[in-house]
Amino acid sequence: MNARRLRTLVRREVNATLRDPFTLGVLIAVPLVALLLFGFILSTKVEDMRIGVYDASRSSASRRLIADLAASDSFRPRRFETGEAIERALVRGEIGAGLVIPADFERSLLRATAGGAPPELRVLYDGAEAVLAGNAEAFFAGIARATGAQLVASDVTARRLAGAGAGSPAPGGGVGVVTRALFNPSFEGTPFMVAGTFGFVLSFLTTLLTAVSIVNERQAGTFDQLQLTPASTLEILLGKLLPLGAVFAFDVVLMVIAAGLFMGVWPQGSALLFIAISAFYVVFSLSLGLIFSATSATAAEAVQKTVLSSIPTIQLSGFAFPIRSMPLPIQWFTELIPATHYIRVSRAIYLRGAGVAELLPELAILVLFGAFLLGIALRTLERRA
Amino acid sequence: MKLTGVNRFVSNVLAMAYREATVMRHDKAFMAVVTVQPLMMLLLFGGALSNEPANIPWAVLDHSRTQISRQLVSEIESTGYFLRPRAVTSQAEGEALLLRGTALAFVVIPSELRRDTLRGRPEVQLLLDGADPLNAARVGGIIRSVASRFDPSGRGNARAKLVARAGVLDVRGRFWFNSTLRDRDFFLATLAGMLLTNLCLSVTSLGLVGERESGTYEQTLSLPTTPLEIVLGKLLPYVAVSYGVLAFAIVGAGLIFGVWPVGSWLAMAVITLPFVLASLAIGVLVSALANSSAQAVFITVFFIMPSFVLSGVMLPYQLMPDGVRQIGGLLPLRWYQIGLRRVVSRGGGLDDIVVPILALCAIFAGLLLLIRWRLKPRLG
Repeated sequence: MNARRLRTLVRREVNATLRDPFTLGVLIAVPLVALLLFGFILSTKVEDMRIGVYDASRSSASRRLIADLAASDSFRPRRFETGEAIERALVRGEIGAGLVIPADFERSLLRATAGGAPPELRVLYDGAEAVLAGNAEAFFAGIARATGAQLVASDVTARRLAGAGAGSPAPGGGVGVVTRALFNPSFEGTPFMVAGTFGFVLSFLTTLLTAVSIVNERQAGTFDQLQLTPASTLEILLGKLLPLGAVFAFDVVLMVIAAGLFMGVWPQGSALLFIAISAFYVVFSLSLGLIFSATSATAAEAVQKTVLSSIPTIQLSGFAFPIRSMPLPIQWFTELIPATHYIRVSRAIYLRGAGVAELLPELAILVLFGAFLLGIALRTLERRA
Repeated sequence: MKLTGVNRFVSNVLAMAYREATVMRHDKAFMAVVTVQPLMMLLLFGGALSNEPANIPWAVLDHSRTQISRQLVSEIESTGYFLRPRAVTSQAEGEALLLRGTALAFVVIPSELRRDTLRGRPEVQLLLDGADPLNAARVGGIIRSVASRFDPSGRGNARAKLVARAGVLDVRGRFWFNSTLRDRDFFLATLAGMLLTNLCLSVTSLGLVGERESGTYEQTLSLPTTPLEIVLGKLLPYVAVSYGVLAFAIVGAGLIFGVWPVGSWLAMAVITLPFVLASLAIGVLVSALANSSAQAVFITVFFIMPSFVLSGVMLPYQLMPDGVRQIGGLLPLRWYQIGLRRVVSRGGGLDDIVVPILALCAIFAGLLLLIRWRLKPRLG
């Protein structure tokens, strides 16, 4: 190992990268686009969902309910003349939900305040959009509850019947729940996805670039030329990997700043700790990229291998889908994926403000995996050299 | 004479198609995309990936230690979404579990629960880990609904229970097309769309650049065939393979996971054609833009990713911000998944998917114009 030789090799690599606008563009554009793309797609809300309404009651109470629906940001009511028309519109996907208000709505509301059965509303949700339907049900229940309480309260007879001190119907059972969400009180999807995007970029893009860069060099024959120089294989590789690793680490800093400035998501914990851990995690993509490139003849083949192996592992790493919802054997398998642990760590730092003490077990696993992968990568190279 | 012209055209196209099919059969990467990938994605989306809450880790701090509190905890647990609760002895211990992510929810039961139950206003405290917003929001809803139905005294009458559950209005919700809101049905309905996007894009873009690199494209151009015949002949085998993949997606999802299309198979076959053509056209366009096959794969991969995310096959596109939603509207996969959901999940027929079909045709036409503009100098 010779420091001067290594420096020359690093300079060569940096110059080569700077002269390649395509790679440079990919290195800067893909992380930023991924951040914006993934940052805005997860939402627990319902916005402007079209809800078909068949109002058979045509009473002031039903009009009040529809007006309340329209006033919410969640629903946009559209009138239908029959129940069948609503069902047809659901099939065609024109509406996300359908509401049928029965003809005796107002009458049974009056009866209900006097102790009768509460009026029944029939709501059909479009289950084909599973996530939307689940969210919509919760939002609709909230609106119906509020409107119902107001309808009763505004009714003079009701107030007289209910007697003094009982503004709302007496609870005949049930336990109230006071809910407080820690770390992300409004259930925003953006910070969750932003923290995960680091795992996506550092597991996929960087592995791909490393593999392609090394295979290209081998194909062009420059790799063999370098081996004729006094530089050793290890030096040549370090000369290649050090600048790549530095660029990937720079990508992390770029993403942290972009997420903060454009999306208002800064790490709750220490940004320095996060960047340090991410810089270490770069070792994984460098090693994997080395392994993929060593086992492929052409760049296209290396890319195919990376894509075919990375996409499922990223999907299983908890980036978009919770691991605990997977079948048990697959849950065990996900623990073997480095990205699983890295994404866990980055979410803990970004969202919960966790420090080293809370992260110790995960960090230990990452270090172990990193040493293991690096070992395999070096072994693969020795065999080829 | 005219008839021989038509004959010649057909035989030229078929010859090109035969050549292309032979090349395909010997291409290992292609065979992997066609065989391994569909199976992998079918198993992933059918069996592994889902956003539904399950195995939720949670903690309970029970100050009251009464029969009532234990019953409430066991009723929450018996909804099936939760693991066994972890009993903690202090507020700080529970919050530490949330911080470490080893609990998603933390229920604090006050010591006055029993007394408050007799007075009629019992309350418990629920802390949720907002770091996992999608699941936390749903888990909050599940616990709230269990608690509101909970009848500790065992004396409540039916009406009082109803009021407690639904407020003054009794809302009877029903989920059509997917009554238990299984994510599996949501994903598998559009599995064909994901597979065909992968197939059509990666195969054409790679294949064409590869041919340009090795010079066989120029050789083909020097044959006594017209460019139209070449293009048609090249596309024909891909269209055939695409229908094979479509059949695999339908039958695989049906046989393994029991998710069969409810609506018309004919409608699915019809909407698949413009979608496949549009996707192939994107592949051709990518190959025209890229200088090397490595670049082509890069562009393809980073086009496929956003199409999966923005089109609505994995997450509802309806909730995305306006601008993002409109960009997604330019993707063929967006319209194909809209059509597929209408047919596969909701049982629609051909007349229900006219708009998506027209949109796909429009996208295809636009792509053809782009390709013509971009490829002209090279073909001339």
